[in-house]
Amino acid sequence: MNAFADLIDGFGTVLTPQNLLYAAIGVTVGTLVGMLPGIGPALTIALLLPVALELDDPTGTLIMFAGIYYGAMYGGSTTSILLNTPGESASVATSIEGYQMAKRGRARAALATAAIGSFVAAIITTVLLTFVTEPMARLAVSFRASDYFALALLAMVTVTAVVGSSIVRGLMSLTFGLFLGVVGIDALTGQARFTFGVASMLDGIDVVVVIVGLFAVGETLFIASRLRDLPEKAVPLEPATGFAWLSRADWSRSWRPWLRGTALGFPFGALPSGGAELPTFLSYMYEKRRARNKDEFGRGAIEGVAGPEAANNASFSGVLVPLLTLGIPTSATAAVMLAAFSYFNLSPGPQLLQNQGTLVWALIASLFVGNVLLLALNLPLIRLWVKVLRIPRPLLYSGILVFATLGVYAVSGNIVDVLLAYAIGLIAMLMRHLDFPVAPAILGLILGPLMETQFRRALLLADGDLSIFVRRPLTLALLLLAVAALALPHLPRLFRGRRADRLAVVTGED
Amino acid sequence: MTEPDRTEASPLAGLAAGVVLVVAGVALFTRALVAGAENGITLGGPTTAPIVVTGLWVVVAVAYLGTQVAAWRRRGQGPIDRPAWRAPLLLLALLVAYAVVLKYTAVGYVLATLAFYVGAAQLLSTRPLREVIVRDAIVGAVLALGIYLAFTKLLGIVLPAGVLPL
Repeated sequence: MNAFADLIDGFGTVLTPQNLLYAAIGVTVGTLVGMLPGIGPALTIALLLPVALELDDPTGTLIMFAGIYYGAMYGGSTTSILLNTPGESASVATSIEGYQMAKRGRARAALATAAIGSFVAAIITTVLLTFVTEPMARLAVSFRASDYFALALLAMVTVTAVVGSSIVRGLMSLTFGLFLGVVGIDALTGQARFTFGVASMLDGIDVVVVIVGLFAVGETLFIASRLRDLPEKAVPLEPATGFAWLSRADWSRSWRPWLRGTALGFPFGALPSGGAELPTFLSYMYEKRRARNKDEFGRGAIEGVAGPEAANNASFSGVLVPLLTLGIPTSATAAVMLAAFSYFNLSPGPQLLQNQGTLVWALIASLFVGNVLLLALNLPLIRLWVKVLRIPRPLLYSGILVFATLGVYAVSGNIVDVLLAYAIGLIAMLMRHLDFPVAPAILGLILGPLMETQFRRALLLADGDLSIFVRRPLTLALLLLAVAALALPHLPRLFRGRRADRLAVVTGED
Repeated sequence: MTEPDRTEASPLAGLAAGVVLVVAGVALFTRALVAGAENGITLGGPTTAPIVVTGLWVVVAVAYLGTQVAAWRRRGQGPIDRPAWRAPLLLLALLVAYAVVLKYTAVGYVLATLAFYVGAAQLLSTRPLREVIVRDAIVGAVLALGIYLAFTKLLGIVLPAGVLPL
């Protein structure tokens, strides 16, 4: 069957009342959490895992998770524009121009160009995903253990080099994650490693525990340490009422940045290059450079919202390519989705499409459905969503702690895991204070064990001959790319400018 | 979360973190080496990854400490931004107490969660307890009861019922 027929089948699976309900729940919950600072899609999916396991419906669950991811991106752009507090690094670029637009009374136009641009990008890239998945899976069949090792290394290194304020901090965070990944019984020999004599550590450290600790507990403790600097309630700018979202001029200034952002986002997401942060900033810089009215940038140029938002959404479809065909996650959220797959005893990789074709195509079809739902849900209901931002901070974060504890407790039933999540939360709070990024830690936790397994398998197949890693051209090329990714940021001063931009956002300067 | 973070962490905090990281790294690396010596180190064996990872930890931690020493020399001991540690540490203590009460006492999920919620909200608030306790208690009670009923009745996930006749 060709991809198109498969996709039609996928729609057949999705367009049942039950799965549509999952998609609707997903995008609604996603938008909600996307608007709340500090709680991203990764945490939400992690907290929903126990519920999802209980429902025992892999297809419905994954449809819901994809909805959560897209919803969170929409929600994130809303807070970036109305509050100037991007929920995650990928929406930092949006907030630069978006908040300025909102301050000048153009919040509705900014929200609309973000939402419609995201929609356009998502639809285009989901079509691309449809046609890339099958050839990619066929290619992936020829991947050997040594290639997987090199690919995982590449994904880890690029994400670390791209995320955060310094490579040394990113590497430290990554190493922390790698260490957490080593804890537990070695799968091949049964030898206990770093369990410190605690029986429940033998199973290793669950990804849910780490994510809840890093995001939910860490974030709340960080808030607690900064109470005197923060108001009890956030004060979002009010989007004006009226019918016109985008004027004719807005449309004509938006559509090219949408397409260019899409063109940047998808390949950067698909290559193991660390998700959405890089393409959103590249899109922002590109739009700024080629804009005719350069002086408008920094004071609310609509191109600066349209491009990065499209790039952000496009990169998610891109991220799904290595996740579904190779089983390699390239962002924190993809890492949690990989964990979700493994909870259902599904292993993403070349065989997934053969063994679980229905599920994969339903997932891809649900991306279309989810985006239509989002567009229908978000723009008209924006005033309702803004009310969410007005929930008093103490009520919100206490609730997050209740859910965090529940999530860990429900998934493991083990108090050691709960206490471990709290301890990781304490570490995460210190990381925030010292400007360490947390995403590399999660990737280290997920990719580390995968790398080790593939490394040992490759060695076993080569009778312990290390030269296997340089003899195979694909492996060697991937390893060289990994080295280049570490060295690249030092070459052009491109990245310095990018960081300066972000710093300006964080410090609230124009 | 990216609330405006106006102050940079003090160079002292960075230095302290660097020292702690190096010490922890060396301790873990030593432990990995001991395990390697006991069980034998082969490239494809189970002791290699811990040695590589903890070795990397030491190298990166030393590099980080280096950057912090450099920052210290450059800026000296400037004005230090002291985050308030009291609230997060009390919150952490409250969390641990909550987990222990859930696991080891017969108080039950609903009452423990209600008490925890009110306490946590107070620690995260800048307003006095008497102004907000009614609001916090109502929200906490609805949340705790809602979660309990949803999880036990709808999802079949067991939460401790405790002293309440639920």
